[in-house]
Amino acid sequence: MAEGKTIVLKIKRRAGPAEPARWEEFAVAWRPNLNVIACLIAIAENPVTRDGRNTTPVSYESNCLEEVCGACAMVINSRSRQACSALVDQLEQPIRLEPMSKFPIVRDLVVDRSRMFENAKRLRCWVPIDGTYAIGPGPRVAPERQEVAYALSRCMFCGNCLEVCPKVNENSDFVGAALLNQVRLFNAHPTGRMHAHERLQAVRGIGGVQDCDNAQNCVKACPKNIPLTESNNDVNRQALLDAILGWMLR
Amino acid sequence: MPVKAVATAEVPPEATVVPAAKPDRSYFWDKLHSLTGIIPIGAFLAEHFWSNSYALVSVDRYNQASYDLQTIPWRVPVEALMIWIPLLYHGFYGIYIWSKGKSNVTRYDYGANWMYVLQRWTGLVAFVFIGWHVYLERFLTQGKSDYFDVSATLANPLFLGFYVVGILAVSYHFGNGLWQFANKWGLVVGRGAQRKAAWAAGTIGVLFALVGLAIVFSFVFQWHPFQFYAQ
Repeated sequence: MAEGKTIVLKIKRRAGPAEPARWEEFAVAWRPNLNVIACLIAIAENPVTRDGRNTTPVSYESNCLEEVCGACAMVINSRSRQACSALVDQLEQPIRLEPMSKFPIVRDLVVDRSRMFENAKRLRCWVPIDGTYAIGPGPRVAPERQEVAYALSRCMFCGNCLEVCPKVNENSDFVGAALLNQVRLFNAHPTGRMHAHERLQAVRGIGGVQDCDNAQNCVKACPKNIPLTESNNDVNRQALLDAILGWMLR
Repeated sequence: MPVKAVATAEVPPEATVVPAAKPDRSYFWDKLHSLTGIIPIGAFLAEHFWSNSYALVSVDRYNQASYDLQTIPWRVPVEALMIWIPLLYHGFYGIYIWSKGKSNVTRYDYGANWMYVLQRWTGLVAFVFIGWHVYLERFLTQGKSDYFDVSATLANPLFLGFYVVGILAVSYHFGNGLWQFANKWGLVVGRGAQRKAAWAAGTIGVLFALVGLAIVFSFVFQWHPFQFYAQ
């Protein structure tokens, strides 16, 4: 492609959580293998809109630039995805960038995803090993179980699965597929399983696994190809058995 | 040799411990909603299509089947417990669940996302249709509906159209509902299992639609293909 070509980006901006939203257009010089984050870096270097007005640099989050950290999730041309793996040559122009809509906006393309982390804590998504003495190494894990768990463990809390879910919105407290996947992951861990009941009780709380209605957008949107619908169903099975056994045995 | 001390974190517990989420009653009510769709509503739907299939044999067999059902012991309590209360609960709770979702199928036009939307609309159509159908064939006829009453209803082309739409909506809602049930109760987990369940549930939905339409056409065209059974 010829040098001197420009890329046009339309960005939905907001100076703060309470400020009104506005669209601004930017032109960025094309170069080979350009991705959306590189465009945002170019805009930050020269924050001038396409019609020549000076403006503030666009705020955004990014870190690894190789789709493993999850920071740069945003809505690009109406699809929620990671900006680092969104290659400009594969996108329709003008490229429309919007912040994710299911999280509180901080500024421009930056959203506050701490809700996911809070829910991870409420659902006990970790393996508790802290104590007053060394408890030694954990049990060994069969390779085929490792393989399943590895796929689940790739989650980077980007929030794409929540953004595309019709059941995640201001009318509902649904925790979202990423969190149900965490419950499955830590219940699959041989040491984590010792606290499975606690997680399964928590996941039957408000916004728990019962809120999943199988629109199955999550599995399509997941940049890490995690089998999220399988996790939803597996947690459904575990939670149900735990509830029924609990009712009969406890 | 001295034993190496293991360091333990000295953090005040209040500072780190977030209370775990508590099980909520909504879990029970959601599961009950999903269960009532299969038992008793789905089971009654199967029974209802079965009994009405007597129309495919003959008018007499149909009237006999209706009479047998209309004279079961404990009729009203059975109707209330097995049909009316579950239906009302499933319908109104379904609308409540719908209100907690926000469809985005225009943005993410995937198959399962369309099925999610259709499940809600067919549920609404089915609910309205069933309400009208029960009023017409159960209450207006004082519980003594027979072949003649149904034929009279279906002689009206508007009513006939509503029956066809209603049967298709009910069949879709039941077929997809079976698949939803398999997912929501964790009966299928893997993607292959999900796909097999989808085929099975889809086949059941299509069969219900075909049988339902056959029954309607039996009334409209006096079509009794199984009449020779009675001869």
